[in-house]
Amino acid sequence: MSGYQPTNGATGTGTTQAQPVVDERSRAVTYSCGDCDQEVQLKRGEPIRCRNCGHRVLYKQRTNRMVQFEAR
Amino acid sequence: MAPAASTSTSTSTTARPAWSTEFNTARRQRLFQNPPKDTTAYPALAAAVEPHIDSFNAIFARGGLLKQAIKDIGTKIFLDGDPSAQPGDVGPRNHLYVRIQDVFLDRSLLPQANKYAIKTRAILPAECRERHATYRGKLSARIEYKVNSGDWQETVRDLGYMPIMLRSNRCHLEGMSPDQLVHAKEETEELGGYFIVNGIEKIIRMLLVNKRNYPMAIKRGAFTNRGPGYTQYGILIRCVRPDQTSQTNALHYLSDGNVNLRFSWRKAEYLVPAVMVLKALVETNDRDIFEGIVGAAGSKGLEEKQFVTDRVELLLRTYKVYGLHSKANTRAYLGQKFKVVLQIPEDTTDEDAGAEFLRRIVLPHLGSSDVTESQDSDKFRMLIFMIRKLYALVEGECTVDNPDAVQNQEVLLGGHLYGMILKEKLEGWLSSLRLPLLEWGRKTQWKPFTSSDFQRDFFPKIFKKTTENLGQAMDYFLSTGNLVSPTGLDLQQVAGFCVVAEKINFYRFISHFRMVHRGAFFAQLKTTTVRKLLPESWGFLCPVHTPDGAPCGLLNHFAHKCKIATQSVDVTAIPKLVAKMGVSSKSSASLAASVVVQLDGRVLGFCAPAQAKIIGDTFRYWKVEGQHGVPLELEVGYVPNSNGGQYPGVYMFSQAARMYRPVKYLPLDKLDYVGPFEQPFMSIACTEPEIVSGDSTHVEYDPTNILSIVANMTPFSDFNQSPRNMYQCQMGKQSMGTPGTALRYRTDNKTYRLQTGQTPVVRPPLHNEYGLDNFPNGTNAVVAVISYTGYDMDDAMILNKSAHERGFGHGTIYKTKVCDLQEGSAKARSSRSISKLFGFPEDGLVKAAWRNTLDDDGFPRIGAMVSRGDVLAAWHTVSYDPSTDSYENQDGYTGFFKYKEDEIAFVEEVRIIGSESGNEPCQKISVKLRVPRAPVIGDKFSSRHGQKGVCSQKWPAVDMPFSESGIQPDVIINPHAFPSRMTIGMFVESLAGKAGALHGLSQDSTPFRFDEQNTAVDFFGHQLMKAGYNYYGNEPMYSGITGQELAADIYIGVVYYQRLRHMVNDKYQVRTTGPVNKLTGQPIKGRKKGGGVRVGEMERDALLAHGTAFLLQDRLMNCSDYTKATICRACGSFLSTTPTINEFERKKKATSTVRCRRCATLADTTTTKSDGWTDGHGVRYTGGDDVAIVAVPGVLKYLDVELAGMGIRLKFQVEP
Repeated sequence: MSGYQPTNGATGTGTTQAQPVVDERSRAVTYSCGDCDQEVQLKRGEPIRCRNCGHRVLYKQRTNRMVQFEAR
Repeated sequence: MAPAASTSTSTSTTARPAWSTEFNTARRQRLFQNPPKDTTAYPALAAAVEPHIDSFNAIFARGGLLKQAIKDIGTKIFLDGDPSAQPGDVGPRNHLYVRIQDVFLDRSLLPQANKYAIKTRAILPAECRERHATYRGKLSARIEYKVNSGDWQETVRDLGYMPIMLRSNRCHLEGMSPDQLVHAKEETEELGGYFIVNGIEKIIRMLLVNKRNYPMAIKRGAFTNRGPGYTQYGILIRCVRPDQTSQTNALHYLSDGNVNLRFSWRKAEYLVPAVMVLKALVETNDRDIFEGIVGAAGSKGLEEKQFVTDRVELLLRTYKVYGLHSKANTRAYLGQKFKVVLQIPEDTTDEDAGAEFLRRIVLPHLGSSDVTESQDSDKFRMLIFMIRKLYALVEGECTVDNPDAVQNQEVLLGGHLYGMILKEKLEGWLSSLRLPLLEWGRKTQWKPFTSSDFQRDFFPKIFKKTTENLGQAMDYFLSTGNLVSPTGLDLQQVAGFCVVAEKINFYRFISHFRMVHRGAFFAQLKTTTVRKLLPESWGFLCPVHTPDGAPCGLLNHFAHKCKIATQSVDVTAIPKLVAKMGVSSKSSASLAASVVVQLDGRVLGFCAPAQAKIIGDTFRYWKVEGQHGVPLELEVGYVPNSNGGQYPGVYMFSQAARMYRPVKYLPLDKLDYVGPFEQPFMSIACTEPEIVSGDSTHVEYDPTNILSIVANMTPFSDFNQSPRNMYQCQMGKQSMGTPGTALRYRTDNKTYRLQTGQTPVVRPPLHNEYGLDNFPNGTNAVVAVISYTGYDMDDAMILNKSAHERGFGHGTIYKTKVCDLQEGSAKARSSRSISKLFGFPEDGLVKAAWRNTLDDDGFPRIGAMVSRGDVLAAWHTVSYDPSTDSYENQDGYTGFFKYKEDEIAFVEEVRIIGSESGNEPCQKISVKLRVPRAPVIGDKFSSRHGQKGVCSQKWPAVDMPFSESGIQPDVIINPHAFPSRMTIGMFVESLAGKAGALHGLSQDSTPFRFDEQNTAVDFFGHQLMKAGYNYYGNEPMYSGITGQELAADIYIGVVYYQRLRHMVNDKYQVRTTGPVNKLTGQPIKGRKKGGGVRVGEMERDALLAHGTAFLLQDRLMNCSDYTKATICRACGSFLSTTPTINEFERKKKATSTVRCRRCATLADTTTTKSDGWTDGHGVRYTGGDDVAIVAVPGVLKYLDVELAGMGIRLKFQVEP
C-alpha cells in the first residue's frame, strides 16, 4: 500500500538538520515533497526527486518574502 | 424509498442507516473527518459508474474477453520460400505457426531505470494528474511459435504501456476504502471508470447499438441500392462473439423472391446466396429447407401460405444454377471464393477455408471457435428462422422493428470497446509478421524456416520489425477518441468515442458516466426520427435529461436505477427447461399454430402461442423466485401474437451490455429485473393505486426511477413545464460548484469553484443518497418576486449588495499553465539531450522587474499576483559538460514563459515535475493560478427550474424592500418570468424553502408526492402558517427607499440559486481600434484576438430603417476599413495612379504628388522641366494630373484589383 504517509517527527527533523550547507555559488531553493512532505533542497540542474522517498513531484513552498497587493 | 441502497450497505461490517432527506449535519461531519475504513457511505454513487469499471474488468478477468479474443485470433500460419516461385519448382513449404498464449497488463509501476524509489514503486493516479502523465501499465504477451510439427517454443514480448481505467482490477485504487483513497490523494468517493491520459481525465462514452443476437426486421430504402432486384426489405442481426466483438449479418429480399446474405468484412461488403450458406452449414436437402421455411408438411395453415411457398420454390430453383450439391462441395466453393479475403493461408484446402468462412462470418454468436456440428445446425436453424421472418415481413404478416427504439438496442460499453480494439491490435500485430518474414526470406535467399539462421533471427530481427507498441495505439485512441481500424469493428463511426470527463462541478462529472450516445452517424441525419422520445425508453433513458440543440435526443442519460449487464448470466438450465415445457423442433406453417422460442439468438424450438405465453409467465415466476436455475437478470421477452405486429415468440437474453431495471413483481412481491425488450409487452403499474387486478404483473418501486440522477435533483419537477426541467438539467451541469475536495492534487486546465456553497433546504432524499452534499452546487437565497427597480426586466435579477458582500455566489477559477521546456521537441528524451534549464543563467543579468514574480530558481513565487505580460518562469539554454558532469550556460540569455491573459491572477501552487526515472533535471513545471471571481453585473445565475437570469444591479441593502419581520431579499426577480414559463415548481420550492428555513427542516422535494387532494401548496402553506406567516407565502413589504408599504403583498421565499459559469469577464468584447485583416483592412473577428463584433446585414437593415445614415457611415466605413485612395478623375481608375519621384530630392518629402500614368503621355524633348514628372523607373511623362483623393472602403480597392485580374475594369465617375 502506498499513498500519503506523513513522516514521523524524529526522522523529519533529523534529516532537515543534516542538510548540507548551502553552496556559495548555486542558489539552492527548498521545496516540499509531494508525497512525504519532507523538505528538499535542490540546486540548479539537479534531478527532481525527493531524497527521502524518491517521489517525483515537488511543491514550491510559500515565499517568506512579503506579499502585498493594493486593495481596490 | 431506495431499497437498493439499504440492501447493499448491509453487506458491509457495520450496517449503515439508509439516507433520508434530513440534513444529517453531524453524520456528514463525522464521515468527512473520519472517512470510512471499510466501504463507501454512498453505494448508490459507486453503482452509477459500475458498468464502466466492470466492463473494463471483464477484459482481463479470468477467462475474460481477452482470453476469448486470443482464442478467436487463433494460430497464424506463415509459409517460407519464394512466394512467386512456381509450386513445382520448390519442394513442400515449411509452416511457421505463431499464436498468443496470454496477454498481461501490469499495474502502473515505476520503470526499472528508477533506482531511487524507496517505499513504493507504484505510480498512483494522483501522481499522473499532477505530472500531466498517462496512468498506464506495462502490456506484455506470451507468444508461442513452432515450425511445422515441432515443439512449441514460447517467449514474452513487451507491447508498450497501456492506459488503465481507474478503480479497475488493474488499478492501485481497486477496493480501496474511502480512508485509503484520501491517503492516495483522491476524493473519498473516487468513482473511477475513467482514464488519465496526459493528465486529462478521459472517458469512453457509452454508445447505443443494435440489440445483439436478435434478427430485426428492417425496411430501408437504401437497401435497393445494392443492385438490381434488391428491395427495401431486410433482416438484420448483430451477432456478438464471446469476446464482445460483433459481426452483422443481413438478409436481403430480392424482388424475384430470392434471399441473399450480406456481411461486411474489413470494411468491404459481400453478398452470398442464403441457400448456399444453408447448404454449407449442414448436410441438408431442398425438402428440409422448404419445410423449415414454410412449415412442416401437413401442418396447419399450409394452404394459406401460397406467398411463401411460391417464393421458397423459386429460391431453391434458382440456386440450382450453381450446381453445388453436397455440404463439402458448397464449403469448398465458398472457401475458394473467400480464401484471399479472409487471409487464410494458401495451402489450406478449399473445404477447410469454407468452414473457416462459416466460423468467422455466419452467425458467429452461435459458435465462433471450434465449431461443432450441433452449433452449425444451430446456425442453420437460425438462418432458416431469419428467412421465415423476412418472408413474413414482405408478406405483411409482421411489422418492422424500430432500430431507434431502446427495445432493439443495447449498450456498447467502454470496457468492451477497449477490449475489441486491443484484440484487433493484437491480431494486426501477429498478421504483420508476414512482411518482415518475406523480407528476411528475400535477404537470405529464401532460407527455410527450419534453418538455424531463422531460429537465431526470429525474435531479434524479424519480430523487432513489427510495430509492437500496442500501448501507444490505445493511448492514441483515448486521447483523440479516433478509431484506427482495418475492420471498423462493425461500428458506424470512427471518431468521437472518447470525451474529457470535465469536472466543472459534480453534476457534470457524474453525468459523463451515465451518458449514452446514439452515434455520431445519426447526428448528421436530417430526419428527426432517431431523436424522438419513444415510450419504450420508459425507465431506461431519462426523458428529461438530454441537451437541447444539435445533440438533442442523441445524447441521452440513463435513468438512475437503470443497470447495465456487464457479463452473461448462467443459462445452462434454460434449454432443458424449455424442452420440458413442450417445444417441438419443427414449426407449423402458420404463426397462429406455432411460434419460436429463442435464447440469445439460438432457436430452442417452436410451440403454440398459448404455450409460449405459459413459458414466458413460468420463466418470469421462476426467475423472480430463484428456482430451477433461472437467473434473476434473464430477460424473458414474450412477444404475443398480433395482427401484423412484432414477430411473435419468446426471446430470452442473458448476455452482457443489456439494460435492465428493478421493478416489483406482484405475484411474489419481490424484486424483478425487466429489460427494454420485454417491457413493451408487460403491464407495469406506475404506482400502487394504478395496479389493475388481473392485468398488472409488476409495479414500479418509485415513479422517480425513470429520471436520471441530475433530473432527480430538480425539486418539484412535476410542477414545471417539461422544457424547463430540461433546461435545469443543462444549467445544473454548468453551475459553478464544488468539483471535489482533493482540488490540491488536481491540475485541470480550468476548474470552477463556488466559495460559499450550501446544502439546499429543499431537496429529495436522493440528494443524500448520492452524497451530493460533499459537492455543494449553489446557495440558498431569499428571493422576492417583485418588479421593484426596473433593473429586473427581461430576466435580469437584482442582487442585494450586502448579500454579495457576505459572499453570495463568490467563486474562483483555477487555471493550470504547464511550462514545458521540451514542448514540441522529439519525444525521445535522455538526460544528455537536455538543452534548456529553468532558472536564470549563472552569469546573466537578472532584472529587478523579473524578480517581482520569480524566485531564485526561476519559478514563480507562491502568492504572487500576475497580470498580462508578467513572467511565470525563466529558462536559459545549456549544454552538457561531461568533464564536470554539469550543465553550462554559454550565452547568458534568459527566456521566459509569460502570463498571457488579461485578468489578474494569483499563483496558487507551483509543481516541479520530475521524470519517471527520477534522475533528470526539471524540464516541466505546472503553475496553478487562482482567478478570483466575485459576482459582477452581467454574471449569470439560475434557480433550479430553468429560470436563468443575469445580474443587472447590486442594489444597496438600505434601498431593498423589507418585510414585516425585517427580512430583505438576496435576489429580486421579475414577476414576468413566470406566466409564460409556468415553472410552478419554483413557487413551491420558494414556499417549501421558506417553511423549511423557518422551522429548521429539510424539505423533501421528490416529484409525484402530492396530488389533487393533498396539494403541495396546502402542505407547505400550513407549515408557514404555523410559523406565523401568510399561508400563501405572500407578505406585505415596505419600500426601502420611502419606507411606504407596497400596495401589493410580495411573494417571498427561499430558493436555491446556482451561479453559472458563464461570466461577463470571459465574454465581454469591446474595441475602438485594433488588429485588422491584412487583405481587406477590416477588423478581424474573435474575442481572443481583440477583434470586433460584426455589424451584420440585419443590423445594417435596422440602421437603414431608422435613417441613421451617420451611424451607418461610422460603423461600416470609419470604424472599419476607411481608406484614402487616389483616383484619376479622367479615367476613373484607382489602379493607374502612381506617386511621382523627383530625381533630385531623396525620399524625404512625405507628400509626393500623384499622377495618373494611364492618362499621361511620354515626355518628349519639347516638354519643359516644370511640366513633366518622373515615375520610379525614371521615365518622364507629362499630363495625367487630374488626380483626386477620395475616401473609400479598403475592400473596394481590393475588389478592383481582383476584377482587374480577371480582365474587368472598374471605372468610377468622380464628381464634382
